[in-house]
Amino acid sequence: MLVPQPRFTMIEYYKKPFSRSESLGALNFYIRDWFEKKYRDPTPPQLYSFKLVREKKNLLITAPTGSGKTFSAFMTILSDLMDMAEAGKLEDKIYCVYISPLRALNNDIYRNLNEPLDDIYKKLGESVKRISVAIRTGDTPQAERQKMLRKPPNILVTTPESLAILLNAQKFAENLKSVRYVVIDEIHELANNKRGVHLSLSLERLTDLIGSDFTRVGLGATLHPLETAAGFLVGYGDDGKERDCYIIDATWDKKMDYQTMCPVSDIVNASDKKIDESIYKTLNSIIKKNRTTLIFTNTRSGTERVVYNLMHRFKYGEEHVAAHHGSLSRESRLDVEEMLKKGKLKCVVSSTSLELGIDIGTIDNVVQLGSPKSVTRAIQRIGRSGHRFSDIAKGEIVAINRDDLVECAVMLDSAKKRKLDSFTVPRNALDVLAQHIVGMALTKKWKIDDAFALVRRAYSYHSLDRKDFMMLIEYLSGSYVGLESRRVYAKIWYDANEGAISRRGRLTKLIYFLNIGTIPDEVSVNVYGEGNRWIGSIQEEFLSRLKPGDIFVLGGRLYRFDHSREMKAYVTRAETKIPTIPPWFSEQLPLTYELAIEIGRFRRELADAVGKELRGVKGIAALLKKRKFAGGKTAEEILDSMPMDKSTKSSIVSYFAEQLLFAKHVPNDRLMLIEKTTDEKGERSYLIFHSLYGRRVNDALSRLFAIEASDMFETDIGIMINDNGFVIVTGAELKMSRDDISKLVSNVTNSDAVRIIRGNVRRTEMMKRRFRHAAVRAFMVLRNYKGKQISVKRQQINSELVMKAAEEISPDFPVLKETYREIMEDVMDLPRAREILKKLKEGEIAYEIIETPFPSPFSHVMVTFGEADVVMMKDRRKHLRELHKHVMQQISKRYG
Amino acid sequence: MQLTGDIELGDGLPLLYIKSLNSIVCSDLHLGYEGVMAGRGSFVPKMNFRKIKETMADAVKKFGAKNVIVVGDIKNEFSDVHVEEFNEFREFIKFLREELEIEKITLIKGNHDNFIDRFRPALRFEIYAQEALLGDYLFFHGEEAPKSRGGKMLIMGHLHPAIGVYNRVGVKEKIRCFLYGKLSDGRRIIILPAMNYFAEGVDVNQGNVGEMAPVFNDMLDVNTMEALCLGEDEILDFGKVGALRKL
Repeated sequence: MLVPQPRFTMIEYYKKPFSRSESLGALNFYIRDWFEKKYRDPTPPQLYSFKLVREKKNLLITAPTGSGKTFSAFMTILSDLMDMAEAGKLEDKIYCVYISPLRALNNDIYRNLNEPLDDIYKKLGESVKRISVAIRTGDTPQAERQKMLRKPPNILVTTPESLAILLNAQKFAENLKSVRYVVIDEIHELANNKRGVHLSLSLERLTDLIGSDFTRVGLGATLHPLETAAGFLVGYGDDGKERDCYIIDATWDKKMDYQTMCPVSDIVNASDKKIDESIYKTLNSIIKKNRTTLIFTNTRSGTERVVYNLMHRFKYGEEHVAAHHGSLSRESRLDVEEMLKKGKLKCVVSSTSLELGIDIGTIDNVVQLGSPKSVTRAIQRIGRSGHRFSDIAKGEIVAINRDDLVECAVMLDSAKKRKLDSFTVPRNALDVLAQHIVGMALTKKWKIDDAFALVRRAYSYHSLDRKDFMMLIEYLSGSYVGLESRRVYAKIWYDANEGAISRRGRLTKLIYFLNIGTIPDEVSVNVYGEGNRWIGSIQEEFLSRLKPGDIFVLGGRLYRFDHSREMKAYVTRAETKIPTIPPWFSEQLPLTYELAIEIGRFRRELADAVGKELRGVKGIAALLKKRKFAGGKTAEEILDSMPMDKSTKSSIVSYFAEQLLFAKHVPNDRLMLIEKTTDEKGERSYLIFHSLYGRRVNDALSRLFAIEASDMFETDIGIMINDNGFVIVTGAELKMSRDDISKLVSNVTNSDAVRIIRGNVRRTEMMKRRFRHAAVRAFMVLRNYKGKQISVKRQQINSELVMKAAEEISPDFPVLKETYREIMEDVMDLPRAREILKKLKEGEIAYEIIETPFPSPFSHVMVTFGEADVVMMKDRRKHLRELHKHVMQQISKRYG
Repeated sequence: MQLTGDIELGDGLPLLYIKSLNSIVCSDLHLGYEGVMAGRGSFVPKMNFRKIKETMADAVKKFGAKNVIVVGDIKNEFSDVHVEEFNEFREFIKFLREELEIEKITLIKGNHDNFIDRFRPALRFEIYAQEALLGDYLFFHGEEAPKSRGGKMLIMGHLHPAIGVYNRVGVKEKIRCFLYGKLSDGRRIIILPAMNYFAEGVDVNQGNVGEMAPVFNDMLDVNTMEALCLGEDEILDFGKVGALRKL
């Protein structure tokens, strides 16, 4: 008797490449011939993929630019199609779908696929049927869509959104039933956001449509953990186990050479002007040494500033140096890309727009100005350099301040040790799911059980609660309004007795087609001052970070945010010199948690070494001069193993020594320093939490502490947050004893964090804006109705009404629930903030309360964070200098 | 809260009771609001009608009234009667008659109430265009200045009055209110807050109200009016609007 074998599933690394001949042997004769003439040898990822894709294995391939990633998938797919063509079996059917998040990339792929086909068919003539390729995006004209419907291409190049539309296009969907391969490019740009979540559901719908599994190939720059990325790519089978997938990690096959550079020999003591000058001198010397240099800044305004300075300081013209970022027009970006491809530019400066895999020709060197905030991102960016895969990728990070310096040093050390920071896939996002349930119901009648099973096959929804799913079904079937109104409100028909859903409403299909997608419409918000005077505009995302009372910079002046209404923000002039929110706040990416912890660990090790070395020497200068130390790892030894230049080493040592001499403690991964101090004028009290866990965690922590402090001390409280900690700001008159602070910590660690945060964000701008995004995604507030575009302003007003009613219905109303989830898990990192609180409570992380006459060195950047970008404000820098002077006077008084 | 010997404000409720008419007076219900919104692509859950029914039931229980006067804008759309509006409107009349045993329903037409006349025979209610003198009171909706010089007190809707105040952390909040004051000819006037659940209200201590209601152009100064705000279950007297303007 046959015993059914349990399916053994696996996601595993494939570590042994096939031989050249095995790999090439997997290709069709003509394809191989073309490939060998063009490239001769397969690249490392291709030595795995040719054979594995030919065997129809699911595959995740990560490799840097120039590694022949796309051909690693397509050479075999083309081989398969060519075999069919030769055998006369190639029909007008879609066999392969290629999906990328970027339309620009679609055009590259189209070209790259047609190049071998043109060459091959020149030889073959018309005796063999030509393999056809076509692009289908939102831009595709109606006539071409019609043509595609009549004569489908063999390879369809598309975007996630267009795929979801095609799945619902009745006639076209028939053409998708023949799909055997799906290639997903730039998977690192999809796996961590709602766009990817949306795609993962489309893939399961496609599988369902076909009735069997197809081969999935994911391509991307490196990300971690790759197992999660692979899981995201393949999803789960009917048996509840992950589908098989091999991981090919060629990231490290490319040699990389990188280091942290300190622009001056001592960043702690150098003057602002000196630092500025040295930064540009450093950049210029790198540009001169290389043919083409790519410089990344952290913000768009930073990009502009660097281009301006390079041109003016070193007389570069527009034909040498160019900017490339998201705020520039499509045309000017394309111009720059063209110039790059032709090798004309000496240097291009970009914020994030050149991170993606668009073809930009040869880059010899990648410079990052200021920390890129993530090890993975640093590697991805550096991986953009090097002409061929065999070239060494070269990169530098030029630090812009002391905390930045430490951060970059640890980041590149982690890169060297291949310790990447991890990404997370948003889980069980109800708004995205709502879209797909509507889409599914439009195609046919579904048993609830079948629909639920399909959804759970997608990685992002594998843990979806049946209760949440049913609540969504209820919502979509209009259960929140009376029977007589469901005609208008319901998007699906739901029969509870039969346990089935299907289409409802004559407009629903139109709503689905016109409102699909996950990227919210963003607009800028006009800012008005006293007397309704227009001052300028800010990005909506920035507005959503503002709390009433926050001080921010606009057009070089400081304003206090009062309130907003629809798409207008109202402010008053602020007299104070300290902004609570820096202008780049919404643009600059937060430091990753893993890297933050690594920096904390580094701080602990190095502070220990520097502390020992400080014994018996007088002052920092003496310490730096005399390097004879006893016992344990020396500072020298720790720093020597890290990729950094000499100035970085000495700057870091003196920075740590200064903190130790002034405050006796360097905060680290096991020690949270809580520093009670005042600003230099003694006007305000600071309670500085040195909690180095990244901004997302600190966002949650700071709110919890501020709410508790506000209750305990019955006072108004301001908060400043960055990656390294947060500051609770009160009036100077507030007396807070050590016991009070201990009590504060104990109260917060014992509180119900989720409930408090929920209550806290409920009335915020962020809630209002994010609720709109979720309501739009869940088709509750439409952006396009019957072909008429609805303005973002209108969407916002309407979604605030929806929110008001939804809160009344239930705190668990799906759109409301999703908004809270998004804020607590995607915007903030409440889960990890809670872990930190638990560790604080259990003593795994200790805390130390210190009182200082003014902020200690490690808090300077925190209390003056306007400096943390190349676009610096004079006031902030002056302020920082003053702080530093105070500290040095104090130290010299004590140590002579 | 007793406003005069004859008028009591529903504590926390956006309506008032007139003893001599044994009538509840309310305004600006905008029935069918969500349905109209849904017809434009924003699926606002229905909440308004439910809340209005609750409010009316509370008020009838509290005052034991037998009559209801609506001072305009019982429905939402300007032009034709939307099917969603008609359903809620009919339900509302039915609810007042059958559940709350209201005998007489009087409607002063507002700017949103065109085309409502056609339902009068079927649903049996009194209807007046723009203004009506009932007992000592001149009821008028408010988007036009009152024409009649009669009545000891005027009762108006239309404005959706509220005051804007800043809470401790600087967030602006709007609190719906009654406005109570005196016209230049000596008659008293009270302006009703909106019954509509979604109406935030117009903050009378900030904007220019003259544009919205012509009564303010020459007959009435909003600054001299008292803001009687709706608390949880009480009326909170915020004093004169003029003083609140300086906040």
